[in-house]
Amino acid sequence: MDCKAASELLPLYFDGELDRATGREFEAHLDECADCRAALIELDALRHTLRKDAPRFSAPDALRARIEKEAAAAASHQAPRTQRPWLAMAASWVLAFVAGGATLAAWNHGTSPADGQSQLTRDLFASHWRALAATSPIDVVSTDQHTVKPWFAGKIATAPVVEDFATEGYALIGGRIDYAGSERIPVLVYRHGKHVIDVFVLPTTMGTGAPESIQMQGYVLEAATLGGQPAAIVSDMDQAELARFRNLLSTSK
Amino acid sequence: MMSTSSRAFVDDLALSHLDAAYNLGRWLLGSEQDAADAVHDAYVRAARSSETYAGGNARAWWLAIVRNCCLARLALRNKEKRNVAIDDNPVAAEHWMPRAEADEIEERLDSSRRRQMITVHLRNLPEHFREVLILREIEELSYREIADVLQTPIGTVMSRLARGRALLQKALTDNGTMEIPHGL
Ligand SMILES: [Zn+2]
Repeated sequence: MDCKAASELLPLYFDGELDRATGREFEAHLDECADCRAALIELDALRHTLRKDAPRFSAPDALRARIEKEAAAAASHQAPRTQRPWLAMAASWVLAFVAGGATLAAWNHGTSPADGQSQLTRDLFASHWRALAATSPIDVVSTDQHTVKPWFAGKIATAPVVEDFATEGYALIGGRIDYAGSERIPVLVYRHGKHVIDVFVLPTTMGTGAPESIQMQGYVLEAATLGGQPAAIVSDMDQAELARFRNLLSTSK
Repeated sequence: MMSTSSRAFVDDLALSHLDAAYNLGRWLLGSEQDAADAVHDAYVRAARSSETYAGGNARAWWLAIVRNCCLARLALRNKEKRNVAIDDNPVAAEHWMPRAEADEIEERLDSSRRRQMITVHLRNLPEHFREVLILREIEELSYREIADVLQTPIGTVMSRLARGRALLQKALTDNGTMEIPHGL
């Protein structure tokens, strides 16, 4: 290991983030290199200074009491809530959700008239992200549209229109069944380059609830139609690609 | 992980990492009152979204919410430009101490003065570097945990940490608060 490589690894070694094998290689270099030893000692001195002279502030008793009180109050009159396992999302997404101040306001107000729409939007994004985080975003792998369409039959009331747009650059890769609210709905999964595209086929009653277009963390949800049925597209494609795809969908019969 | 109630889970989480939350708030906001309020905001938000928490590092999840609440307060403060009471106020005059006096000061620094100096220098660091130093050196979070808190890639954590350490080290040696360590 040369000194350049070693100095790049030095903070990782110091912070205990190097794997053991690399750690040993680094130590071998350390034995021979006074510069790296000095740099390591400097890091240690800084840590020592910080821990000694910039002590940790402890939470004031008043704050602790305030939170303990609210926790106790919540525990005493909390009705058991129904868990919706399908809403279980990747923790990272929850972070994004909690973090997004403006979007939070639009999504989180239970009393607003747009509540149904917000919940639907939330469900669809959640479904998309959960699918991306899973080993595979699909339940049935497409060899072509003729394997996907029959797969839905019998699992849901109405099988959706299924069309492959591979020649247009949007290949059908499969399908799955997901939930919007308590409805089981079909999801068609396409791929365009590195983008995974989910097409949620919505019940007619729900279609009016789908917003025109909503952006969230670099993902877009857009209302569409598929063979006359309302649908929603969720993907991270750019606007032009999305518009092209939406037009293709609307032409399918 | 969320066997009985997700709300109880958040309560336990917030209470067992309350010092970490408050410490982060103090270093980000500077004020005792603001830090306490931000942590309380964070608790309310975490409780409200408890049902959607689905695994991952719980402490990082909680601290990320705390951090977001602090940043929201900072943004508001900047917007309002009102006078905000900052306790243990950075002593600007001392920070800009002429270098010629540094040696003498080094000898006379008692521990409370040293504390004040470190506080001033940490305060003077840009927020991005300050928070990463607090999370790593004082709260002892791993790179992965810090990345989760800041919602940034690990590479960003590493570069901010390196830069923050270098800046702080320079500031401290420049005015003699930190002794230059002697080799092994
Ligand atoms: Zn070296």
